Amino acid sequence: MKSGLKELRVGAVVITSAWKLIKMNPAIWAIIALVIIFSAIVPERFLSPSNFVAILKSFAVTSMLAVGPTFVILLGSIDVSYMGIWMFGGALVWLLYPYLGLASIAIYPIFGLLVGLFNGVVHVKAKVPSFILTLAMTALLAFLTTYVRNISGVLTLTVPAYNFLRESPIPYLPSPFLLALPVIVVALFLMFFTKLGTYFCAIGSNEEGAKLAGINVEKYKILAFTLSGLLTGLGSIAIFVHLGCQTRVDFDPSELIRGLAAIVLGGTPLAGGMGGPHRTLLGALVYVLIFNGLFLLPGVDPNHLKLYVGTLLLGAVIAASRALKGALIA
Amino acid sequence: MSTTNSILEVRNISKTFDRVVKALDNVSIEIRRNEIISVVGENGAGKSTLMKILVGIYQPDSGEMYYLGRRIPFPKSPLDALRKGISIVYQERGVIPHLKVYQFLFLGLEEKFTKLGRLQLGKIIGLTQSIFEELGIKCDLASSMYELPPSVQKMVEIARAILSVKLMVEGDGESEVTPIIILDEPTAPLSTEERDALFNYLLNLKKSNSFIFVSHIIPEVMKFSDRIYVLRDGKVVAHHDLSSEKVTEDQLFREIVGRESYYSLWARYVYGVGKAEGKRVVLSVRNLTKKGYFENISFDLHEGECIGFFGPAGCGKSEIARALYGEIFADHGEIIMDGKHVKLKSEPYARIKIGIGYFSGETGKELFLFWPIRKNLSLVNFEKVCKKPLKIISVISFNAERALAEKIMKKLRIRAPSTETECYSLSGGNKQKVSVGKWLEKSPRVLILEDPTIGIDVGAREEIYEVLLEMKGNGIAMILASDDPKEYAILCDKIISLKNGVVQAIYTNEEFRRLMGL
Amino acid sequence: MTMAQVWVFREWLQRNLNTVIPVAGFIVLILGLRIANPYFLTSWDSLITLIYGTSWFLIAACGLTLVILMGSFDFSVPSVLKLSAMIFAILYPSLGFSSILVSVAVGLIFGFINGTLLARFNIPSFMATLATSMMAEGLAQVISGGYTRIITDPAFRAISTTMILGLPSIFYWAILIWAACLFLTFMTPFGRAIYAVGGNIVGARLAGINVKMVRTAVFMICALLASIAGVLYASQIQGAHMQVGVLDMIPLFASVVVGGTALTGGVGGIHRTLLGVLIIRWLDSGLSMLAIDLNVRMIIFGAIAITMAILTIDRRRIKIMK
Repeated sequence: MKSGLKELRVGAVVITSAWKLIKMNPAIWAIIALVIIFSAIVPERFLSPSNFVAILKSFAVTSMLAVGPTFVILLGSIDVSYMGIWMFGGALVWLLYPYLGLASIAIYPIFGLLVGLFNGVVHVKAKVPSFILTLAMTALLAFLTTYVRNISGVLTLTVPAYNFLRESPIPYLPSPFLLALPVIVVALFLMFFTKLGTYFCAIGSNEEGAKLAGINVEKYKILAFTLSGLLTGLGSIAIFVHLGCQTRVDFDPSELIRGLAAIVLGGTPLAGGMGGPHRTLLGALVYVLIFNGLFLLPGVDPNHLKLYVGTLLLGAVIAASRALKGALIA
Repeated sequence: MSTTNSILEVRNISKTFDRVVKALDNVSIEIRRNEIISVVGENGAGKSTLMKILVGIYQPDSGEMYYLGRRIPFPKSPLDALRKGISIVYQERGVIPHLKVYQFLFLGLEEKFTKLGRLQLGKIIGLTQSIFEELGIKCDLASSMYELPPSVQKMVEIARAILSVKLMVEGDGESEVTPIIILDEPTAPLSTEERDALFNYLLNLKKSNSFIFVSHIIPEVMKFSDRIYVLRDGKVVAHHDLSSEKVTEDQLFREIVGRESYYSLWARYVYGVGKAEGKRVVLSVRNLTKKGYFENISFDLHEGECIGFFGPAGCGKSEIARALYGEIFADHGEIIMDGKHVKLKSEPYARIKIGIGYFSGETGKELFLFWPIRKNLSLVNFEKVCKKPLKIISVISFNAERALAEKIMKKLRIRAPSTETECYSLSGGNKQKVSVGKWLEKSPRVLILEDPTIGIDVGAREEIYEVLLEMKGNGIAMILASDDPKEYAILCDKIISLKNGVVQAIYTNEEFRRLMGL
Repeated sequence: MTMAQVWVFREWLQRNLNTVIPVAGFIVLILGLRIANPYFLTSWDSLITLIYGTSWFLIAACGLTLVILMGSFDFSVPSVLKLSAMIFAILYPSLGFSSILVSVAVGLIFGFINGTLLARFNIPSFMATLATSMMAEGLAQVISGGYTRIITDPAFRAISTTMILGLPSIFYWAILIWAACLFLTFMTPFGRAIYAVGGNIVGARLAGINVKMVRTAVFMICALLASIAGVLYASQIQGAHMQVGVLDMIPLFASVVVGGTALTGGVGGIHRTLLGVLIIRWLDSGLSMLAIDLNVRMIIFGAIAITMAILTIDRRRIKIMK
């Protein structure tokens, strides 16, 4: 009887937490609003099955760019090396395919892990601001990718042998989305069912306090960067498949902002300490819905994408800046 | 002396910093089962050094440690101390605001509740519930730490300290361990009711734990401790067992502050005191309020007068000082300077313009540690060192700057090789003199002082007091917020005593000294 | 040398690392270029080519240096530069030289937005400027339609290429602006305030510096210089194109930190940026003479920038690095 009561109470705690989650995530309301708005304006184009598939694909891409770095943002640092991992990882797959065969796709997570580990160690040990460091990393890897393309004399770095991955076994669920699912599950598991999520939040919320509580702050910071790299590496497989088994070869900053915007829109503050991958997934959905709907509207020119992306990011950071009030920021 | 009841004892601990500063000198204390002992003393008396040795952050130069009568080595790290049954609750910065209550309670202790890499959340929440029930903490487990009132935060922190000892200690299995919990100024951020709640909680916990209570708030110490150690200048100057002897608050206070007196210094400048009434009012404050910090503060500050805000830490005195300078903003009320209203939300630069200056002794707060002395001194005095070749352009003259710096350095006896010496290489006292020196030339109408002599030695203190008294003699009005009663006796004409942000009483200098026994 | 001398020398080296590296780097660079290319700097013409490559860049780098000295960062410099160049080139046929005013005004607006986002909304500057740089890029794309504009009017060209004493006028513009920035940072209270905000922002506020005003003003100066650089650049290449962009941030950033200005703010100065710009731009032209791929050059600059950033960061004052 008593244990039953206890379980009831544990359940109550879980339910209150869930309600707070919904209350504290304006992204959920934003998603509902966006769906209603676009369904009202362009119902026949927005509510079609093919658009549903398009949304899922683009959601897979956006979330895969953003889920890994979320762990770093929890710390209050930032990791934008995802572009580099995605681009050059693909180039490595292309380069190594002749030697490794189908197994060469495994290079993606390995490469991501190594880049993340490097970022983490340099950031923690040499005390380089993480944003500058990871941005330089992304730029470096992006240029390397373009260089590989230039010297190899081909237009795209495509590996057609993986085309079988593009066929989805389930109708209406595109394969990039299916490939992204395990990464999402892993990220959510790490956040909620291991101590890592708690530790990252603790470090981001009060680094000194975390140290006083006996947490090896340096170790967990490096771990967060490594995890970010690894998840991005895994997620890049979904993007690789989405783009037709090839990687991007020229750097586009609006793609870089895509990941950041998803994180910020989801409501993980840049100061760290709260939020997590669940919010980023919501943010990614908001981002995807905005642009999906926007380009269905008449008179919107996709060539002006950068302007919209910049404005959106700006709006998102201003909206999120409430969380940063009071501190003097660099 | 050592009874079977004794759990932990340290004998003859000495600790010296930088080869000269003797922080602890032959200190011995003992902690028995199920008691609350207090370690009291002023800032810099060595309390925190002693505690840091107990939890393994510092290693002592000499001394011995006994646990249940057996000699053991000093702990090497906080983790090591935990294994020996000693845990600490820090004064501040211990709480991690964004964690859920149960996450915070088990932070760093998750190892024991992980199965196949999966955290057993149900078990953790259940255990949190039963611990809170046992200890009588009432709160919503799903809320974040920052949503809890400060007293409950403190209680959770203490619960966490006990829990971590119980989980980490290397018991031999024979006897149950009694955790020793060090509480570093636990009541600082709390209101009176919250303090009472916290102490009832502690008295309840005493049945199975021992506490070392570090504080300088005398009434609390008297009320709740079994024994008291008084530290002064790194030595144990008194030890009282409250169960067998009677100690008055006065006596304790005298033991804490010591006998050395600053009368002579004060007497030299005594002419300013008491004559303020006839002089012009510089600053009037009416009903100044900031929610949660201070309420309805009103006073008139005359030329050459010094008003001190006195009270325990957290009574709102430093917040009043900061609000007057614009570092933080008051919610409502009036600040009137020379008959003109000052906007409550104006920034410090606007306050400086109308003649308010601010000086804090906190190291590195307002000093530019990596700048030469010259630049630090000229920062508020640009109008004195700038030429104006055109109306809108002002050009800094390095010669004028150097001359200004030399003048101030000479006057304040700042000991440094040259005006170009970077401030981080100066001693604490000289750093403080640089901070106060920049106002010497600026001569604001009102100077706000927050802990002006914290953490510096007696000689440097006296020099700073002399400068301040001289400025006061020149007609500069001052406001003081400090921890040291002697400072009020030396500098202030009027002392406003505060408690929880509300004015309790107003004393003249003499009344105050009589009250404090100075 | 005795041990004591070695020790003293090492001490000196450690203290002056951020001066020694750029100076030594510059000397090594000149020697290297001379060896790799026997014609390097042998003729007046080659010097003038180098000046054309360096001048506009120096102007933009000065602005960025001010922002970094303040402890912030500005990604929008190359984008604002591009936008200003584009506005100038597009409006020139109809407005003539008054189009410069439009360019500069747009630049100032961007600077004001950047500064306000940081000072009033408390948004980290790298994030805010990343967003505004995308907006500037997007605007340039919108107004140009993505096409290169070419202006053949000799007067358009004259503002940067008129020869005075054998050197093009853009050289004098750059030196003038550089000297003005130098004067601003070292000789005026405002310059002192920039260093103060970068060095100890809490202390700066308590010492009566209007932190919000300084931040906004510095971002506006930075954007102003970026637009001036854009206008001169457009005049020098006789038009505007979409190729300059966010990625030019890398050499720009590299030239500031290579000079020895620390990312953490408060350490370094405009005088260092001159050397940094010379190193980066001359290295660039040297490498392109050796027919090294643009991508590889960028990788080299990125690596140099990060290495220098690591070496110059003032670790004494960092408690928590985010």
